[in-house]
Amino acid sequence: MQIRYFANYRTITGRRTEEVAAPATMLALLEQLSTRYGAELRRWLLSADGLAKGENAVILLNGRHIEHLDGVATTLKEEDVVSLFPLVAGG
Amino acid sequence: MNAWTGTILRVNLKDKTIVKEALNTKWANDYVGARGLGSKYLVEEIDPAIDALGPKNRLIYMAGPLTGTSAASSGRFEICAKAPLTGTIGAANSGGYFGPELKFAGYDGIIFEGVSAKPVYLYIKDDVVELRDASDLWGLNVHETTDALNELLGSKFRISTIGQAGERMSLFACVNNDKNRANGRGGMGAVMGSKKLKAVAVRGTGSVKVAQPEAFNEAVCDARTKLRAHPVSGEGLAALGTEVLVNVINESGALPFRNFRDGAVDPNADDYSGERLAATYLIKNRGCFACSIACGRVTRVTNSPYASFGEGPEYEAGWAFGASCGVNNLAAICKANFLCNEYGLDPITMGTTIACAMELAEMGAIPEEDIGFKLFFGDADAMVRLTEMTGKGEGFGLTLGQGSYRMAEKYGHPELSMSTKKQEMPAYDGRAIQGMGLEYATSNRGGCHVRGYLTSPEILGVPVKTDPLVTEGKGALLKLFQDLTALVDSSGMCLFTTFGIGLPEISAQLRTAIGTDESDEDFLLKGERIWNLEKQFNIAAGVEKDTLPPRLLRDELKQGPATGKVCDLATMLKDYYAERGWDKEGVPTKDKLAELSLG
Repeated sequence: MQIRYFANYRTITGRRTEEVAAPATMLALLEQLSTRYGAELRRWLLSADGLAKGENAVILLNGRHIEHLDGVATTLKEEDVVSLFPLVAGG
Repeated sequence: MNAWTGTILRVNLKDKTIVKEALNTKWANDYVGARGLGSKYLVEEIDPAIDALGPKNRLIYMAGPLTGTSAASSGRFEICAKAPLTGTIGAANSGGYFGPELKFAGYDGIIFEGVSAKPVYLYIKDDVVELRDASDLWGLNVHETTDALNELLGSKFRISTIGQAGERMSLFACVNNDKNRANGRGGMGAVMGSKKLKAVAVRGTGSVKVAQPEAFNEAVCDARTKLRAHPVSGEGLAALGTEVLVNVINESGALPFRNFRDGAVDPNADDYSGERLAATYLIKNRGCFACSIACGRVTRVTNSPYASFGEGPEYEAGWAFGASCGVNNLAAICKANFLCNEYGLDPITMGTTIACAMELAEMGAIPEEDIGFKLFFGDADAMVRLTEMTGKGEGFGLTLGQGSYRMAEKYGHPELSMSTKKQEMPAYDGRAIQGMGLEYATSNRGGCHVRGYLTSPEILGVPVKTDPLVTEGKGALLKLFQDLTALVDSSGMCLFTTFGIGLPEISAQLRTAIGTDESDEDFLLKGERIWNLEKQFNIAAGVEKDTLPPRLLRDELKQGPATGKVCDLATMLKDYYAERGWDKEGVPTKDKLAELSLG
């Protein structure tokens, strides 16, 4: 599956995109990425204390916010695209 | 008076009279300030049916009660007039430092009447207020005028001015202050130009007093702490500016592409994103008065045919010259945006009008000889050239300067103007974000995203997440956002504070500044009163009903998560009118008007 990084996540990971094997769920993916890229990414995706699970980020699966799917329990497939953003706004 | 200076300047440009009159405190209480209060003065003083560019229109500068205080991001003020682009009530908000300076000089607002025989500017230095000859300034652009007046009067004067586009009465000319901040939409600059008023220069040495200084400071500290702690207002906007939205809106399948014709996904969007801007042309960020968010972009383009220096682009301008025109050259987008700040043009309407011309030209509806060259989507050179031609009023630029609706109508295709009430919709597709479709249709000043910014909950999840593809509940949500926005715009605070704080924090600052025990709900009701006042004006002016371009109602999206969607406006409008207490035609009922003391 493809991961797309945006905003400061690009600085943290040093990447714009990467291909990874799809884990079973979105939570597993966030855990996997937080382990790989360390505390700086973990605090955004899962929070430093581990209590938040994706609430401090905008996480899109094929363009849909996971809030409107099954949240971090959403299951993943190899053909999926996950787009990761911090909370952003503007206008 | 607390939070107010208590004085309004009334300037008759025909007779050259200047009167200092007392602020109408009842109206200030009922309509808060800035947008609401300026609109109330306008409604009381003009017939809605008048020609917006005729002598009977007013041009009203109005600050809010919090403008110039230490409240968070309190540098905002409004310019109100009947809008020439739309025929609606016009109210355009700006930041920077001009609004606070006006209050430091001792004035809550300025009401301009009539038309001057020759170009003038208004000089304000505390108690000294004079109309001065501006013949030497006429023909200069925004930065030139600002520099000339600062050289003449001193660098501490704050300047609000039009460029060449306003002088020529382009229907989407804006009024710029502090060079790159703008009362942007609806053509307030054209009204100013119609009055032969080139600029207002103000210097004040006073201050704004609040009713309960200790309680006010506590409320301000609370708001500022929350703004700093929030990831959007405390970190994201400073680092990447509003352009950070390009990728998230595009990934959500909601970035209108090529005049909304080719869906809402731009494969090259990252080329002009906030990330790209930060990595290339960004020099530093910049804040307005009393602002800790500092979202402004100071940018310089070098080593390019589009080499230039200025501020921006903001997200909407970046989209208008980017995805809307099918252009992914960031240097060209910056250049076109800088030109708008120089000539005094609204970049949203400028970019989208060029995009509409590109579509009409590709269809063969606009003959090549009318434009002077071949025009097609993606042509960055043509986009920059047409912006400059519009600013200068040259050739086809005169047609573009009327906005997309009048241009498309001239060439037989008004349905291809992506506008509501003749003002162009910004950078969110109402098919992919249903609530934004409702917002565009119902906005009291035509196509506009900041009358009720449902993108925030629908896409970004701020403050809560709602589904952008669902219509249920959007009527009630939009009403709440529109009423709260009317309150914020009228307070003198920046709308961007609402990413980090809400009604309780805003009301607390207002309450302690003014000295009142009114509740949060009382303040929100004032927002609703303002919205209904604006609506009544539009009905009296004969403005067309609430709808969207047929493209958004009939053409299904073919990419992204909203594939197969059109905007289900009819369903949402019905709910929205019911939530507003209006009849089925969208007219406020007698009961609703009585409830709001508008009957």
